[in-house]
Amino acid sequence: MSTVSIRNLTETYPSFRLDGVSFTLEKGRIAGFIGRNGAGKTTTIKSMLNLVHPDSGEIRFFGENLQGNETAIKKQIGYSTGTVNWYPRKKLKEIIDIVRRCYDTWDEAKYRKYLKLFALDENKAAFELSEGMKVKANLLVSLSHDAKLLILDEPTSGLDPFSRDELLQLFVELKKAGVAVFFSTHIISDIERYADEIVYISNGQIMAAGEKSDFIATFSEHGESLEETFLRLERRENDA
Amino acid sequence: MHNLFRKELKLSAHILSYLFIFFGFMFFLPGYPVLCGAFFVTLGLFQSFQSVRENNDILFSALLPFAKRDVVRGKFLFVCFIELCAFLLMAAVAVFRQTVLVSAAAYRDNALMNANGFALSAALLIFALFNSIFVGGFFKTAYKFGRPFVTYIIVCFLVILAAEALHYFPGMSAVNAFGADHLGLQIGLVAGGFAVYGILTWIAYRVSCKRFEEIDL
Repeated sequence: MSTVSIRNLTETYPSFRLDGVSFTLEKGRIAGFIGRNGAGKTTTIKSMLNLVHPDSGEIRFFGENLQGNETAIKKQIGYSTGTVNWYPRKKLKEIIDIVRRCYDTWDEAKYRKYLKLFALDENKAAFELSEGMKVKANLLVSLSHDAKLLILDEPTSGLDPFSRDELLQLFVELKKAGVAVFFSTHIISDIERYADEIVYISNGQIMAAGEKSDFIATFSEHGESLEETFLRLERRENDA
Repeated sequence: MHNLFRKELKLSAHILSYLFIFFGFMFFLPGYPVLCGAFFVTLGLFQSFQSVRENNDILFSALLPFAKRDVVRGKFLFVCFIELCAFLLMAAVAVFRQTVLVSAAAYRDNALMNANGFALSAALLIFALFNSIFVGGFFKTAYKFGRPFVTYIIVCFLVILAAEALHYFPGMSAVNAFGADHLGLQIGLVAGGFAVYGILTWIAYRVSCKRFEEIDL
């Protein structure tokens, strides 16, 4: 039973088409989701969270279909969608006080631990936080309710190198505890260092999904870094 | 579901939604179209929808561990809660006015609609129209609310005008019953108002759920 199983996800917009997106992710694995701006990463992630309405396809978590099991599934998932501001004038603790009651598995000790780790002040309002701190605030919720899966849209954007490294180290710790992590990023070196798997999307189509080593064996040319491979593939796609 | 309702009350609601419940006291005003009180209650609710949009509440709510359609349910629960609080206040004022203050000259010589069972049923109709036209319209996009609100205002004031004029039509004077006059009719009108409110709100809720499921957030 896969933690995540996406099959033939298709959605058509006037100027863009998510075309038969399919991939799986197993327990205790870290998958990096890469692709250019507008390639379909956020649309895919939003589909996984039932925020957008696909034309067709199947989204399963923990063997259960998202449709019909949305509440139970969402309680087992932690997610962060970039740095979007929720209630920018409300104190963090006011928002958290609402959110924590929504999760049966909320772990106050973990919440306190990550609050300290991220150096967040819960008496601050979102508008007082830097972009990086907003990302951390979103992650704080995701990490405080014993999620079995984290779905994160560009979680390292806006973070300083130290915070980024701390976060990615945290992913490794979570992985050891059996948590699956699916994160999109434009920082290929993060994937190179920490991901077990790569899901590569281009123009709404999955070009590769699987083991990082398989991706490198298939696409990399001699001595190339993952970033160089990715850039070459994207140039080729553009030229095609 | 109570957690989502708590979120609506503590996080999403604008303070004016609560304060404007007190416009129910307008049922005390003689020589004034008392149904404007019902409109002002919905104006307070509108402030919460503005706050919802400013604070990205719809996306925030959709990311909480609830089904997407529960976002709609939470909004309807909140709206109905405020409306029913206001209705209870209006009903209490109407009963007080038609019993304890029944001999007050200002009420006895009231040129406009009396605060009676018919006025309460018309208030429920106004709330039902707000739920159908505005809230239902809002969930077409979960973002745009200008057109639904303007449409609601026009319909609302046509209803107020019609309700104020109704008792001047031949054979319709009973709807402006004073004190305990036509008590059976007054109670029946309130019951009818509740039925209309329940049916229209339920339809608006179901339509909103369907619309919201199809929206890309």
